[in-house]
Amino acid sequence: MSQTMTRSILPLTRRNLADSWRGLLGWTAGVAGAILLYVPLYSSFSGDNAGFEDIIGSLPDGLASTLGFQDLASGAGYVQATYLGLIGFVLFTIAATLWSSAAIAGDEESGSLELTLAHGVSRVQIMAERSFGVVLRLLWLSVVSALLILALNDSSGIDLEPAHVIGGCVALFGLGVLAASFGLAIGAITGRRSFASAAAAGISLLGYILNSLGNQSADVDWLHNLSPYYWAFGNSPLSEGADWGSLGLIFGISAVVLVLGGFVFNRRDVSA
Amino acid sequence: MTYAIETQALTKRYGKNTALDGVDLVVETGSVFGMIGPNGAGKTTAMRLLLDIIRPTSGSATVLGQSPITGGAALRRDIGFLPGELLLEGRVTGRSLLKHYAEISGPVAPGRIDALAERLGLDLTRHVRTLSKGNKQKLGLVQAFMHEPKLLVLDEPTSGLDPLVQQEFLSMVREAQHNGQTVFLSSHVLSEIQNAADQVAVLRNGTVVKVGDVASLRASAVRRVVIDFTDAAADDIRTALLALPQLDNLTVADGEVIQVTGTVEGHIDALVKAIAPFHVVDLRVEEQDLESSVIDLYSNEANK
Repeated sequence: MSQTMTRSILPLTRRNLADSWRGLLGWTAGVAGAILLYVPLYSSFSGDNAGFEDIIGSLPDGLASTLGFQDLASGAGYVQATYLGLIGFVLFTIAATLWSSAAIAGDEESGSLELTLAHGVSRVQIMAERSFGVVLRLLWLSVVSALLILALNDSSGIDLEPAHVIGGCVALFGLGVLAASFGLAIGAITGRRSFASAAAAGISLLGYILNSLGNQSADVDWLHNLSPYYWAFGNSPLSEGADWGSLGLIFGISAVVLVLGGFVFNRRDVSA
Repeated sequence: MTYAIETQALTKRYGKNTALDGVDLVVETGSVFGMIGPNGAGKTTAMRLLLDIIRPTSGSATVLGQSPITGGAALRRDIGFLPGELLLEGRVTGRSLLKHYAEISGPVAPGRIDALAERLGLDLTRHVRTLSKGNKQKLGLVQAFMHEPKLLVLDEPTSGLDPLVQQEFLSMVREAQHNGQTVFLSSHVLSEIQNAADQVAVLRNGTVVKVGDVASLRASAVRRVVIDFTDAAADDIRTALLALPQLDNLTVADGEVIQVTGTVEGHIDALVKAIAPFHVVDLRVEEQDLESSVIDLYSNEANK
């Protein structure tokens, strides 16, 4: 049992976090900056004289719905359109893409995965622990998002239910996890960072495009059903609360994708 | 006799390219076994197969009595591995990186990391990415040796090390052997491992060309000789040397200094005796780069 005593908890996840805390600090600043910039602006737009609705009305047909700007006048609609559905979504997608493609494929391309594999860890453990490290970092950004939005809730006048803020940030987290799971799995299957990045960014972009197309008219409304972005945000979580069923689907798909990635990773050659 | 490593017809193909072609090797437990061959001969492929980083196309390997595939993580805890191309990155100190590797390998005795680092002259407080190639190699050696594994698999362990550190490395190998550990190492230069290895296998194009002890390999190695003479007749020298069956590729350049070049297979005793009557200004015997001596070995084998 002396061996088990020297085994420590989640060595690869801890290494992953220790190697990336500087980057995470930057991402935290980015997320905080976006929220601190956009959310307080709501009070200056929301007054009777702000004419915000007029600005939206003057946009070309379709553009407002593409950007999700249909309901900017309410606090929930404003935070959804500016942060959750746009800047936050972009930041989470980029972070998930970079982190997930680096976790296995980046490490393999740089040549350092070989040495880790030569030690007393299984492929499945590497896949699981590094995925967990990415998920934890995305969770951190989600917690920061929720806390800052809640902190600004009164002063900015967005006036959201705390539970709905949490629900909205879980939805954002879910989209980050979904993108990361594709990046991790494709990276683990192919060992190519470019493929992993394309998969992670691609699934986010695809969801966004399908949602925007679905917004255009009732004829193509069915496209919403294919869009993870719509699953997460379609029911307006900031005003209605999270749609836990849809979020469960997003997390469930992510888990399946990760398991498939780990399955192939466990059976293939690792190149150097 | 037990074997730390045993391979049967171990083969690895990448598409049409065969990296390793039916290799049968046995490495006795407690021995130091060297594998030499030019780049691309299959040394690194063989080692990666033993560590389950890649999987064989056909054939099988047994490492410490288990298949690398089924032995998995538990088996690898008993192995210390130094990759041929050691890429260490990151803003972490050597100590922190070694601590991480200690967590995912077999148990490391307290003070062992510092003792090894001190022996090799490695500063553990420096960030890994600022280390020179030689110092990264030292870090790689520490992580391979630190948990005193039953088997050490070292791909080009001496590359980048200065001669003094190479000596220290060789004494670490001897100590490991003394502890009953088995060492399997590779090099593209015979001279780098000849003092360490009991047995040497020569690899070329994915196949084992020859296995033997170092002395017999050296004896069959082909060396290039260059001899400068003065105060002698070129024709006399030529006549004396042409009589030697071990000497090939003879050239004699006449001039104020007569320069003779050629290649010698096996011992150079006969050559030295044959030139003794002449006035020798300089005699250089160079081990040919392994590429050419292996080619010679290979063609000799083919001709027999």
